Amino acid sequence: MPKVNMTVDGRPITVDEGSYVLQAAEALGIEIPTLCFFKYVKPYAACRICVVEAKNKRGRTRIVTACNYPASEGIEILTRTPRVMAARKLNLEMLMSRCAPMPVLTDLARKLGIDQPRWGTGTDMCILCGLCVRVCDEIVGAQAIGFASRGIERFVTTPFEVDSDACILCGACAALCPTGHIRMEEASDREVVHSEITLGPNAAISVPFRQAVPNAPRIDPEFCVHFRTGGCKVCASVCPKECISHDDVERFEEVEVGTVVLATGYQDFDPTPFKQYGYGRLPNVITSMEFERMNNAAGSTGGKILLENGKEPRAIAILHCIGSRDENAHPYCSRVCCMYALKFAHLVKEKTSAEVYQLYIDLRAFGKGYEEFFHRILEEGVNVIRGKGAEVVSAGRDCQEGSLIVRCEDTLAAKFREIPVDMVVLCTALEANRDAKDVARRFGISVGADGWFIERHPKLGPVSTTTDGIFLAGVCQSPKDIPDTVAQGSGAAAHAMSLMIRGEVEMDGAYAVIDDEVCSGCRLCNDLCPYSAIGFDETKKTSSVNPALCKACGTCAAGCPSGAIRALHFADDQIYAEIEGILS
Amino acid sequence: MRPIVSPKELNDLRDRLRAAHDPNHTWVQLCAGTGCLACNCEPVAAAFRQKIHDEGLEGVVHLKLTGCHGFCERGPLAVIQPQGIFYQRISPDDIEAIIDQTIKHGKVVTKLLYRDPASKTRIEKAEDIPFYKKQVRLVLRSNGHIDPTSIEDYIAFGGYSALAKALTTMEPERIIDEIKRSRLRGRGGGGFPTGAKWETCRNAKEEPKYVICNADEGDPGAFMDRSVLEGNPHSVIEGMIIGAYAIGSHEGYVYVRHEYPLAVKHLTIALDQARELGLLGPNILGSGFAFDIGVSRGGGAFVCGESTALMASLEGKVGEPRAKYVHTVEHGLWDKPSNLNNVETWANVPLVIEHGADWFASIGTEGSKGTKVFALTGKICNTGLVEVPMGITLREILHDIGGGVPGKKKFKAVQTGGPSGGTLIVETRDAKIMRSMEDAGEISPGDAVTSLLDLPVDFDELTQAGSMMGSGGMIVMDQDSCMVDVARYFIHFLIEESCGKCLPCREGLRKLHEILERITKGQGAPEDILTLQEISETLIDTSLCQLGGSAPNPVLSTLRYFRDEYDAHIRDKRCPAGVCRELVGYAITEDCVGDAKCAKVCPTGAITGGPRNLQVIDQSKCIQCDACYQVCTFNAIVRVKRDRAADVQTTARQTWKPVKERTQAEARA
Repeated sequence: MPKVNMTVDGRPITVDEGSYVLQAAEALGIEIPTLCFFKYVKPYAACRICVVEAKNKRGRTRIVTACNYPASEGIEILTRTPRVMAARKLNLEMLMSRCAPMPVLTDLARKLGIDQPRWGTGTDMCILCGLCVRVCDEIVGAQAIGFASRGIERFVTTPFEVDSDACILCGACAALCPTGHIRMEEASDREVVHSEITLGPNAAISVPFRQAVPNAPRIDPEFCVHFRTGGCKVCASVCPKECISHDDVERFEEVEVGTVVLATGYQDFDPTPFKQYGYGRLPNVITSMEFERMNNAAGSTGGKILLENGKEPRAIAILHCIGSRDENAHPYCSRVCCMYALKFAHLVKEKTSAEVYQLYIDLRAFGKGYEEFFHRILEEGVNVIRGKGAEVVSAGRDCQEGSLIVRCEDTLAAKFREIPVDMVVLCTALEANRDAKDVARRFGISVGADGWFIERHPKLGPVSTTTDGIFLAGVCQSPKDIPDTVAQGSGAAAHAMSLMIRGEVEMDGAYAVIDDEVCSGCRLCNDLCPYSAIGFDETKKTSSVNPALCKACGTCAAGCPSGAIRALHFADDQIYAEIEGILS
Repeated sequence: MRPIVSPKELNDLRDRLRAAHDPNHTWVQLCAGTGCLACNCEPVAAAFRQKIHDEGLEGVVHLKLTGCHGFCERGPLAVIQPQGIFYQRISPDDIEAIIDQTIKHGKVVTKLLYRDPASKTRIEKAEDIPFYKKQVRLVLRSNGHIDPTSIEDYIAFGGYSALAKALTTMEPERIIDEIKRSRLRGRGGGGFPTGAKWETCRNAKEEPKYVICNADEGDPGAFMDRSVLEGNPHSVIEGMIIGAYAIGSHEGYVYVRHEYPLAVKHLTIALDQARELGLLGPNILGSGFAFDIGVSRGGGAFVCGESTALMASLEGKVGEPRAKYVHTVEHGLWDKPSNLNNVETWANVPLVIEHGADWFASIGTEGSKGTKVFALTGKICNTGLVEVPMGITLREILHDIGGGVPGKKKFKAVQTGGPSGGTLIVETRDAKIMRSMEDAGEISPGDAVTSLLDLPVDFDELTQAGSMMGSGGMIVMDQDSCMVDVARYFIHFLIEESCGKCLPCREGLRKLHEILERITKGQGAPEDILTLQEISETLIDTSLCQLGGSAPNPVLSTLRYFRDEYDAHIRDKRCPAGVCRELVGYAITEDCVGDAKCAKVCPTGAITGGPRNLQVIDQSKCIQCDACYQVCTFNAIVRVKRDRAADVQTTARQTWKPVKERTQAEARA
C-alpha cells in the first residue's frame, strides 16, 4: 500500500494512503476526543468534536474532522490550536445544554476544560451519535433502528416507532450506546428471566468454560450475528492471528479403531413441563446446574449468589428429586442430588447469610464421609424438611425478596408448610440422552427402558458390553457420582488398553464365513447379526464377517437366502455326524 | 414520429417546421407559468379557445400556452404575435376585445397595455417595458415563445442544434475546453467552474459515470429553476446530453422537487418526446452515443439540494449529507463519479456550445460570466423572474427592473442566496447612528456600512459583501422589516430544514434561534451579540455541509449591516421597524379622521371612539396583530415602543381636533 508523509502537531509520521488523520494521531499517541467514532463502523463525522486544523501543501488552513479526513502527502495537522479548542468546547456546550449530564459528556467537558457548561445541562439521554444506527446497519446488517424526524427533532427509533421484527435482539446497539439510552427489554410473556441463567457466558463467541477441552473460544451460531444476518465478522477482523473462520462447516471424519469407550453422559431433566414449580415462569426459580454455574468463579456472576435484581437472597429453598423417583417422570433415583444439594446448602451458608431449606424425600448419604457431611450441614443451621416440594408460587409482591412461596408437607412433623423464599433451586434428575437408542444401535449394544446403556453383566461385566471392544464409562450406563464415574472410566480404559497392548484378539475357531462366489450382496445378514460383525465390501459387492466379533451364533447362516454363509465347525456334515454319533 | 438518425435530418425537420409557420396566422402566446396559473390564466385560456371556436378562426388564430414570461406581477400575460403586442392583467372578459379589435382589425386594446408608472404612458411592446428593457434573456430566451410540451416548437426555435454541433463536430475534450474557456460557473449557489468539474469527472477512473441535474430548488421565494423546467425543459435536457457526451456518461438523472408538479409533468413529456425522436437513447442522432435520463422526485427536504444529500436521496436513502473530503465527481452516486449541475447551469450549456465560449465570456464580469436568473420577490413593484448579465448593479435590478418599493416606503435591504444567504443593506443608514457605532468601536471608520445599491451583482462581490449568489432568490425588504426578525425567520427555516446529522448545525441553530427569539422579545442581553458571533463562527468552521456552513449568514450579515437594530432591541427594548410584537405598542395619533376602519378590523375590540371621533386603543386588550396598522389609510396609527404607546395616545387626546375644525383652521391659515 502506498504511504504518505504527514505531521501531527509538528511530529512527522508515515501512514498508509487512505487512512484517516485520527489513526495517524493515535499512532503518535496524540489524543483527539470523539463522540461518534467507533473503529469498526465507517466514520460518520457527526459530532464534530474531533475537529482539527489541517494545512495543505498550498498553505490553506481549514477545520476538518479527524475521523474521516484522509491523510495526504505533506499535510500538517494541528490538534490543539485555540480555534480548534474553542470549536470543540462550544459544540460540547451546545450538546450539553440539551442532554443530561452523563459521564460521557461530563468527562469530556472536564478534559476540554469546561467547568460549568454555559447553558447548563438538559435531560435528553441521547447524544445522537448514531453509533447504534450504524452498528445495526453496517455490522449487524439488521437495519432495525434508524433516525426519525429531522433537525432538532431527530431521534433514534425502530421502524414506525413500534417493536420491530427486524431486530434480531443481538444487543449490539445497547452495548455500543455511550450513554445507556438504549436498553434491552424482555419481550416474551415470561415475567422476568434471570439474566445469568445460561450455562456459559452470554457472548456468541466464548470459551465454554474454564476447563473446556479444547480450551479455545468457539462461535455459537445461534447467537452469532454473522450466522443470522450475514454481516458483522468483527471478531475475524480483530484477531491478529487470523484464526477465525466463519466458513467452517461440521464434517464427518472416519477413524479406524479397535476399541471404543462410550462415555456419552446424560442430559439434564427439563423441569418446565412441571408447571407447579414455576420454572421458566417465575423469577429466581433455577435448576441445580444453573445454580452451579452461578457459584462458579468463572461464571457469569463471578461466583456470587445473586437474585435477578442483583441483590443477595435472604432465603433459598432447595427442592430434591425433581424428575427423579417420580412416577410422572423417572422412577429411578439420580443418586447425586442429595449430596450436591447438601453442598449447595454449605455454599450458601458460606457465601451469604441466607436461610436454606432442604426439601427431601429421603436423604441418601451413602458414600464415604457423606453422612458426616450431612451432619456438618445440620450444624451449620440448614433447615431440612422431609417432604417433597409440592408447589412454588409467586407471593404476589412486587419486591423480589420473599417473592416466592414453596408449599410442602412436612412428613416428620405431619404439617403442611408454606415457606417464603427468594430463590428456589430445583435438583433436576439425570436423564439418558435423547439419542441413546440410536447410539446403542450403532454400536450393537443394548439399552434399558430408562435409556441407560446395558452392561454385559451387572456384577461380572459392569464395564464391557455384549459387543467385544465396546466399553462403558460413567453416567451413560446409569446415574452415578464423580467417584463412581472415575472408577468405571478407569476400568473401561484398562479393558481397552489390555486389548490394544496385545495388538491381537484371541478368538474361537468357530465363526461364520461367507462364500464370495455365492453371496448375492443382499445385505440381509448385515442387519441380522446381533454383534455387528458383518460388514459390506463396497468393492466386491459382497458381505464379509469380521471373525473377531463373530460369536458363531449361526443366525446369519440360517438367514442367508442364497446359502452363502457357513458357520465353521457347524457345517451340516458335522452336525449330522454329531447326531449320528449320539444316536449310535 | 420517426426517430431522427442524423444531424441533417434534424435540420430538415427544423426547415420543414419553419416553412409550415404561416406569417399570416396569429399566435396568442399566453403565459401558463405557475405565476400566471395562480393569477387564474386558465379561464382566460378557455375563453380564448371558446372565442376562437365561435368566430371560426381555428387554423388561423393559434393559442399557445407557454412557460413563464417573467413579469409575474402583471399576470395573466399574453403576447400577440407576429405584432408582438404585450397584454397584461387579462381577464376572460377581455378576450372579446382582443379577438375583435386586435386580431381581426389590428387595433391595440389600450387598457390591457402595460402602463409605465414613471412616464405614465401605455407601452405596446414587451421589449420597451422597463422591466424587460435591462434584462438579457438568454436562458429564458425561448420561455414565453415556445410551448413546453412540444419538441417541434423547441426545434423550430433552434433547439438541439447545439447538440448536433457537439456530437458531430466536437470531441468530448473540445467541449470541456469550450466550457472551461467560457468560464461558466455553477448556477446552483457555489459558483464552482463548470468546465473544471466536468474535466475531473471525465478523468475519474471508475465507470459508470452519472450526470445529474439538481432541480431541488427549496429556497423560499425562489422559482428560477422551476420556471426553466416548466417553460423550456428541452434546454435542460439538451445541456445534459452535451454534458454526458463530454464526460463519458450514459446515464443521467433529474432530481426534482415533488412540489413542482408542472415541472415534473413538462419534463416527463419532454423526455418522452426526446426519446421518441431518438435524441435520447442508444444512438443519439446516429452518432453511436447512448444516453438516457431518469426523473427522481424529492420529498421536499431543503437539505436534499446539497449534492451529497441529493445523491443519498437518489439512492433511496435518507437525504443526509456526508463529508466531501472525497468529491462527488470521483465518488458520488452509488460511489461512482457523478457530475451534478443545477438546472440553470445545464440550460446555459447549449448556449455556450452554439455561440462559442468567446461570445459567452464577453457577457458579465471578470470572475462571473454570462447571465443570472433571479426571482425578484418581496416588497418590490415588479415581482417576477428576471435574467440579467452578471455585474449589473443592485440599483438597476431593484429600481429599473423591479420598479422600486410599492407605496411611499423606503428600501431597506435585499436578501440574496436564500435562507443561507445574507441580507444586504440597500439604504443609507443614518449618519448619526454610524458615528455612534464608530465611537463604540463596533465598526471601524470608513467601513462600508452604507448603501450597497451600487454593488455589482456577481459571485465574488456578493460573497465579499457577506451574502452569496445562491441559486438566485432575491427578496426585497422595505422599512417595515425588522432585521432581527428577518434573521430569526431564516434561522427558524433552517432549523426546520437542517437534517440534524451534525452537532453544530442541529444544536447551534437551536441556540441561535433561542437567542434571536429572546432578543425579539426584548429579553436580549448585551453579551448575546458576542455569543451569536461565536456560535456562527463555530457553525461555519465545523458544520458537516454547506447548509450549516452558510446558515449563520443571515445572522452575520444583519449584524454587519444592521447592528444598530440589534442594539435597539437589546439596549432600548425597542424594535425600530415595529415588527417584534413583544416590543411594539400601537397608538393612534391626532392624524385620526375618525373613520373607525381600525375599530372594525380589530379582533379584540380594543379600539373604541365612535364615528367621527378620535379612535383610542385599549392597551390592555391590544394583541399587536397589526390589523389596524394595515387598514389605516391616513397613517394615523403608529407603532412605537410598547411603554410609549399610552403616552402617544394621551398626547393625541389632548391635541386631536375633529376633521371639520382642522379644515377650518387650515382655511383660516
